[in-house]
Amino acid sequence: MTTTADQPAEERTVELVIGGMTCASCAARIEKKLNKLEGVAATVNYATEKAKVTYAGSVSQRDLVATIEATGYTAEPPAAKVGATALSSDDAENGEKDDEVSRLRQRLVISALLSLPVLLMSMIPLLQFDNWQWLALTLASPVVVWGALPFHRAAFTNARHGAATMDTLISVGVSAAWLWSLWALFLGGAGAAGTRMSFSLMPSRQSATSSIYLEVASVVTVLILSGRYFEARAKKRSGAALRNLLNLGAKDVAVLRDGLEIRIPTDQLVVGDVFTVRPGEQIATDGVVTDGTSAVDASMLTGEPVPVEVGPGDAVVGATVNAGGRLTVRATRVGADTQLAQIARLVEDAQNGKAEVQRLADKVSGIFVPVVILLSLATLATWLLIGNSPTAAFSAAVAVLIIACPCALGLATPTALLVGTGRGAQLGILIKGPQVLESTRRVDTIVLDKTGTITTGQMSVAAVHATSGESLAQVQTLAGALEDASEHPIARAIADAARTAMPAMRATLAWSATDTSLPAVEGFSNHDGRGVTGVVQGHGVLVGRRTWLEHEWSIQAPADLVATAEAAEAEGQTPVWVAWDGAARGIIVVADTIKATSGQAVEQFRTLGLRPILLTGDNSRAAHAVAALVGIEPQDVIAEVLPADKVSAVKALQEGGSIVAMVGDGVNDAAALAQADLGLAMGTGSDVAIEASDLTLVRGDLRAAADAIRLSRSTLRTIKGNLFWAFAYNIAAIPLAALGLLSPVIAGAAMAFSSVFVLTNSLRLRRFAPLTTLDVRRQSDLALPTQRMGLEG
Amino acid sequence: MSTQTFPVTGLTCEHCVGAVTSELSVLAGVTDVRIDLVPDGTSTVSVTADQPLTDDEVAMALDEAGDYKLAAV
Repeated sequence: MTTTADQPAEERTVELVIGGMTCASCAARIEKKLNKLEGVAATVNYATEKAKVTYAGSVSQRDLVATIEATGYTAEPPAAKVGATALSSDDAENGEKDDEVSRLRQRLVISALLSLPVLLMSMIPLLQFDNWQWLALTLASPVVVWGALPFHRAAFTNARHGAATMDTLISVGVSAAWLWSLWALFLGGAGAAGTRMSFSLMPSRQSATSSIYLEVASVVTVLILSGRYFEARAKKRSGAALRNLLNLGAKDVAVLRDGLEIRIPTDQLVVGDVFTVRPGEQIATDGVVTDGTSAVDASMLTGEPVPVEVGPGDAVVGATVNAGGRLTVRATRVGADTQLAQIARLVEDAQNGKAEVQRLADKVSGIFVPVVILLSLATLATWLLIGNSPTAAFSAAVAVLIIACPCALGLATPTALLVGTGRGAQLGILIKGPQVLESTRRVDTIVLDKTGTITTGQMSVAAVHATSGESLAQVQTLAGALEDASEHPIARAIADAARTAMPAMRATLAWSATDTSLPAVEGFSNHDGRGVTGVVQGHGVLVGRRTWLEHEWSIQAPADLVATAEAAEAEGQTPVWVAWDGAARGIIVVADTIKATSGQAVEQFRTLGLRPILLTGDNSRAAHAVAALVGIEPQDVIAEVLPADKVSAVKALQEGGSIVAMVGDGVNDAAALAQADLGLAMGTGSDVAIEASDLTLVRGDLRAAADAIRLSRSTLRTIKGNLFWAFAYNIAAIPLAALGLLSPVIAGAAMAFSSVFVLTNSLRLRRFAPLTTLDVRRQSDLALPTQRMGLEG
Repeated sequence: MSTQTFPVTGLTCEHCVGAVTSELSVLAGVTDVRIDLVPDGTSTVSVTADQPLTDDEVAMALDEAGDYKLAAV
């Protein structure tokens, strides 16, 4: 794929691995620079850190790399993969991510093992044998040079762009502490065999050159590496959404070639092929039905619970399930053109387009680092001006740099995220990238999918109507008994309702029912999903659509029932007609039911200052009916949206200045979930939606979405408090350092106090109380505080 | 000598600031570029130049720098 030798000289394609990109704008910038070269067409993907470049003529791969490097990034061609397919390169990518995490873990473990003795020796005078400081230097040096390498590297890249982030602060602080110690050991007095760490709180100035800060340098590195590791591990899972989506489709297909049916892998299918789909099978690709009628279950794609009836000439979508009879389908779109592939592309685009929000710690560092460097320079200048020796002036200036690097900085964000994530999990809110909790601070709009989110996504009986002279019980029992033999979701809803109602209805039935089970059916027959027939209690019973009754059985619908049925249809409900002995006698109205908790949830969103919006593919009347019931304003209903347009609807809201959270469950919601600033998937929904989202609400209770947003707000508050504490102790020590009074004890104390405060502050998040399950959870919280703590760790 | 300010969208981080600054700085007569970064919003770009720049010149430089655009005033 990436080799160039065997391809025509005019046009070559290469995939370059780009390094140093920090946001989607970087990708756009590289793309622009590359496309300016003659004969070059490039697309740069920020998320995968890859550039796909097609180039021709005199341009060489080296020119491409040079252009990218001149723009301020790194580029290298990936190792050639022979016969790599889309899926296996995906796996390779995942492997790379695994590698990254395991490399980070290796770095962390080795650094921690090396740092522990350094810390113990520095803190416990008993362990300070003669020449201990040289052992400390030997152990700490690899940590500072190799362990903190990612920070040095990032700091260097940032410096070239004139930017300062958390990495800069760490790199500068760790390097300063190490270089100081190096200098003190070799040139100052610290290298002498009998040197012990001074433990007086106000060290004399003379001791400054004999103090070493190796434990500060190594412990800071370890703490911050551990924070990075936790975050990297949590991040690893992204990208699974696409793999899941592509795995959704049928693996092989029974294609008709020269009148013979042969099974071939789906990816060998071409447009125009005719293939058969047996009942229960997945439709292999998008196509048009040429023969047969059936019901197609598209619930995995759209979330809509009722199968769609199809016949010759109707379009069907790949990956949906043939729920009824045998179908013959002519393929109209294959491979990358199918609706499923389009959804995959939308998800990918939405995930890539998401600019990474600047981390709070980086934001603070961006201001803090220049200030510290200025302070350090000012210290140097002042000491020199008032007539001190250059050595003393230099040591005071370096001391400012050492103390400024707060080691708790590395813990501030990850600990809050970890505790927040853990608490979320207890409450049934699974948080995928913990970073989500930090980045969704300003959510002000919440977009709700209808089916499966506000509603259960399952059909149930909403009402039973009988024409005059017939009893409701009779209608329900006969229909229920007949439908009990069918597998259709509507049929199941009718049968279930009848079974539940049987004990109460028994007395009013025309025959004497001896037990509470539904009567038996004889001669059951399913008419292509349009209706069912059978004999129950001696009656020839028909249950199905009105058109089917009228056209195929010449049974006219009574006027009173027609009005009721039309009213139900207007509300988005489905009326099912029941006839026996040659006359229509009743209707059973079946509808997707609204979850009992949805109304409360909408109210809670309002309390949180969010604007709830209903976004659905369903018709406008049904959408408005649901919106009215749960309390969403009519102007906030967006109905009749095609699956592909859900993502544009979210985009439009974002362009209007809203920060959007989206709650959904279907495959068709996936792109919108990825596009939203905060995507929440129902745990009861499709895997693809879950993968594309940031949060999963395990119980499928919409109220958990309100808790999730409250939790993310609490977490953000905690992070802010942590950053304050992380910096506060070190800032307080800066004047001491500037006066030349910094000692390892003060540095150690600042480190310890700020770390303890940050940890304690983060642990407070465990007490986050949800609104929904307050009664149950609160008690268990109070009763079992210690066990809970253990479970979380 | 004049200083103009331009509202610009599309800047998300310090790298964007660097990119826009370097592209604007090479325009004829430009002596200073300052950017007040508003991530994901409208950032304010102040350009000091010997003679005023046209919107077109600035828009071209922004395009050169990446996916940045002058916001409608």
